[in-house]
Order: sequence, then C-alpha cells, then structure tokens
Amino acid sequence: MSTGRDLLARLAPLLACLGLLAIWQAASLALNNDSFPTALRAIEAVPSILGDKEALINILASLRRMAIGFGVAVAVSIPLGLLMGRSRPVASFFNPLLMVIYPVPKAALMPIIMLWLGVGDLSKTLVIFLGVSLPVIYHSFAGARAVEEKMLWSGAAMGLSAAERLVRIVLPAALPEILTGCRTGLVLALITMITSEMIARQSGAGNILFNALDMGEYDTVFAMIIIVGAMGIGLDALFERVRARLVRWSEPQFDMPLSFS
Amino acid sequence: MIEIDHVSQVFQTSARQDHLALSDISLTIEDGAFVSILGPSGCGKSTLLYIVGGFVRPTKGSARMKGKAITGPGPDRGPVFQEFALFPWKSVLGNVMYGPRQQGVKHAEAEAQACALLEMVGLKGFENFYPKELSGGMKQRVALARTLAYHPEVLLMDEPFGALDAHTRTRLQNDLLNIWERDRKTVLFVTHSVEEAVFLSDKVVMMSRSPGRIRQVIDIDLPRPRRRSELLLDPRYQKYVVDIERMFDDSGENEIRP
Repeated sequence: MSTGRDLLARLAPLLACLGLLAIWQAASLALNNDSFPTALRAIEAVPSILGDKEALINILASLRRMAIGFGVAVAVSIPLGLLMGRSRPVASFFNPLLMVIYPVPKAALMPIIMLWLGVGDLSKTLVIFLGVSLPVIYHSFAGARAVEEKMLWSGAAMGLSAAERLVRIVLPAALPEILTGCRTGLVLALITMITSEMIARQSGAGNILFNALDMGEYDTVFAMIIIVGAMGIGLDALFERVRARLVRWSEPQFDMPLSFS
Repeated sequence: MIEIDHVSQVFQTSARQDHLALSDISLTIEDGAFVSILGPSGCGKSTLLYIVGGFVRPTKGSARMKGKAITGPGPDRGPVFQEFALFPWKSVLGNVMYGPRQQGVKHAEAEAQACALLEMVGLKGFENFYPKELSGGMKQRVALARTLAYHPEVLLMDEPFGALDAHTRTRLQNDLLNIWERDRKTVLFVTHSVEEAVFLSDKVVMMSRSPGRIRQVIDIDLPRPRRRSELLLDPRYQKYVVDIERMFDDSGENEIRP
C-alpha cells in the first residue's frame, strides 16, 4: 500500500477538525454577531478555563458522574440484554417496558427525579444511567439473539451448562454488537451529563457552560463547547481502541474500496 | 449402541399448522458402525440427528444411547455441523482446546493434544489463525478436530461437507475415512449425496419425505480400507449408487442428485 494513502488516513481526523474550525471561523466573520465569536477567540478562551481550579473541579465532577453512570449502566444492561436475547419470557416481560422508556428524552425526567432525589450527584448519575442503558440493552439483546444456535449446541455437547453458555458463548459472540451499543451509550452519557447539569445547575461542565450563557460570556460558552467536543472525541477514540482490541477477531479483513480503479 | 424407538416429530410452522417432520422412526445403530442417513431435503434427516444429539426432543418415542434415554446433549455425542459453528473469537487452537479445557484437562496437555489433532486434519501451522481467516474446507477440518478433541463415542455429522466445493468435499471425505479407519468411532452421517453415503458408510438409511420415514436400510458391503480411486472403478460401488438413485427416482423424489 502507498504510504501516502496511509498518511492521509492517519491525518484525516485532524484535517476534519481543522476544516470544521475553518468553516466556523469563516461563518463567524461573515455573520459578525456578538453571540457568535470566531473559532480563534473561542480557542483562546480554552486555557483560561482549564487553568481555573474551580472550573477544573467542576469538569472532573461531571466526568466522575458520567463514568459511574456509564459503568453501572453497562454492568446492568449487558446481562439483561443477553438474557432477553436468549429467553423469550424475559424478552416479553421487559420489551414493552423498554419500548415505553426508550423514546422519552432522559433529561426530561430530570425535574421529576430532582424532586425525589434532590439536585445532587445521585439524580444526575441516575439520568446518565438511564440514557446509557437503553442502547446497551437493545444492542446486547440483538447481539444475543443473532448468536447461531449451532454454536450453542456445540457448547452444550462439550458440557457447558445454560449459564456457562450465556457467559462463555453468547457474551463473546455478541460482543461486537454489544460494544456498538456501548459506543452509542458513551456518546449519550456525555449528552445526558451536560443536559442534566443544564437543568440541575449546581456543578459540572454543563453548569459552567450555561452560567456563561446567562452572563453573555460567549467566548466561554464556545470554549466549553470545544472542551466538551474534545472530551467526546477523546473518549470515543479511547473506547474505539479498547473495542478494536477486544473484537479483533470480527473485524473485516479487507477495506471495501469505493472504487476498484 | 444407539436405539431410536418409534420417534415422531411434529413442528409448528409459522402459519401455526402442525407439520409432521418424522413419522414413527425406529433404527438401531451398532457401535463402531458408519451409518449414513440419506434423503431429500425436508425429509427430517437432520432432525433425527438432532434428536440423537439431544438438541431436539422428539414429540413421540425415545432415543437411547447404551440403554440410557437421551435427555440432552453430552460429550459422548460430538456434533459436526454444515455451518461449522466454530467460536469466531477463539483461534484455531483455542477452538480445538475448548472441549478438553471444559472437561478439566490441563492447559499444556490440551494444547499438545490439539496440536496433534490439527496435524492429523492437515492444519499444522494454522494454530493461531482465526476462523474468519480460513476457507470453508479448513473451517470444517477445525470443527472436526474440535469435536474429536473431547473424545465423543459417537460422531454426529450433519451434512458436514454440504457447503463445500466438489474438490474440497472429496478431499475431506478421504481424510474423514482415513481418520475413521484408525479408531472406528460410531458415526451417524447425514447427507443428500448418494455417492457420499455409499463411499463412506457401512449402512445407508434411505428416508422419504412428507412425512419423513425410513424407506429402506441398505448394507454397503464394500471392503475397507476404502480408497477412492479403487472404489469408483468397483462395479459393486457403482451398482449401489445406481440402485439407490433409481429407488429415489421411482418414488418421484428425484431432487436427489449425485
């Protein structure tokens, strides 16, 4: 393979980011609106936020809630989804329940949850948990259901019990699909993290963002958007690396070229 | 010895109608025999194999192995499926070691045995490959090695070479015969190929469909060890093939093709 193409593939994400910033810069200059600072001014405001101890504590608090919410959601959702995928009674019990919860924007539940659990960490973590759970359950369910019957039979013939088959055959076989759900869940964790803090203003990255918005500090608003975006890219890249390692056995062997020229 | 005793199997179709897949099947399979179940698609021959495997419960009747009723799958009966059903997240070696490891064989010992088996099925050097990196024929070799690894008393082969091209298929038939002639495990082999059934078996169970029932059981009296090049020229072999094909043709079940 040509090294030029490899280099291009590696630089592509960077080029995409630079392109986006360039469009932003041009649009901002063209609109010339106070509430829409240029990309450069927003970037300039980033170090002052990250240098501020208070802001840093806020952002770390957000990330902690997100990590807990995501972790607990994954730990609960994968077993549930796998069970649903392999047991019809379990599926018919939970499916209608999930169908009711799925389309509800989880942040919309925030005010009610706040009434019950207060504005603290618990409410926000719970909302993140709800946001992450559904895609992970759904993908685990779909993944488990797609596991070839004969693979399970082969395991049964080797003496694996039903529980062992679930853990040692269904789980690894469905892992690519499960991780697709986790990736969606990760992005949703970030989104629900910010929106929960928008509603329950007390601490966190979302709190900084919306306070700055209230006070008309648009440079800070957009700097926070950049920071949140960067967190998203960073977390996704990290996740992708872990995922690729776990399911290397399932990756396609060849790139599908767009053309065979 | 496997005894199939008045087994019937009824399936519900998606239109919620009962479909009689197997009707009153009785069959005895002696230890160490290579028995093929031959029939057109849809005659329930695979279902019969799944019942012996314990994967499917018969609606009526029962199956016994060594006098004990079959109530579920077990390592005494090792399946080999047309779909290979390898564990894609395990390497070739990991697949073959899986059964023995499950039964508590030590890692080093299981690995040594697996390597020996892989060499026997002609896959030395592929230990660290993943299933997706193998051709269909190689996958089926791994599947065979994986099943042989836990020493089942009976091999249950469900159209194992059905998904392979003609060339690979003959090579695997030859290799299977070579392996089988060493330790003569009981084999129950489902196929729709008359030539394959005659070439491999001691006994061919001919089935007809709708509902699936046994039409005839034919003893294949051909010398062993069998060599393909000799057998194809042997008039007795040719007669078996022609006779069986004719029997299917006469009944109108002529989708049986060589």
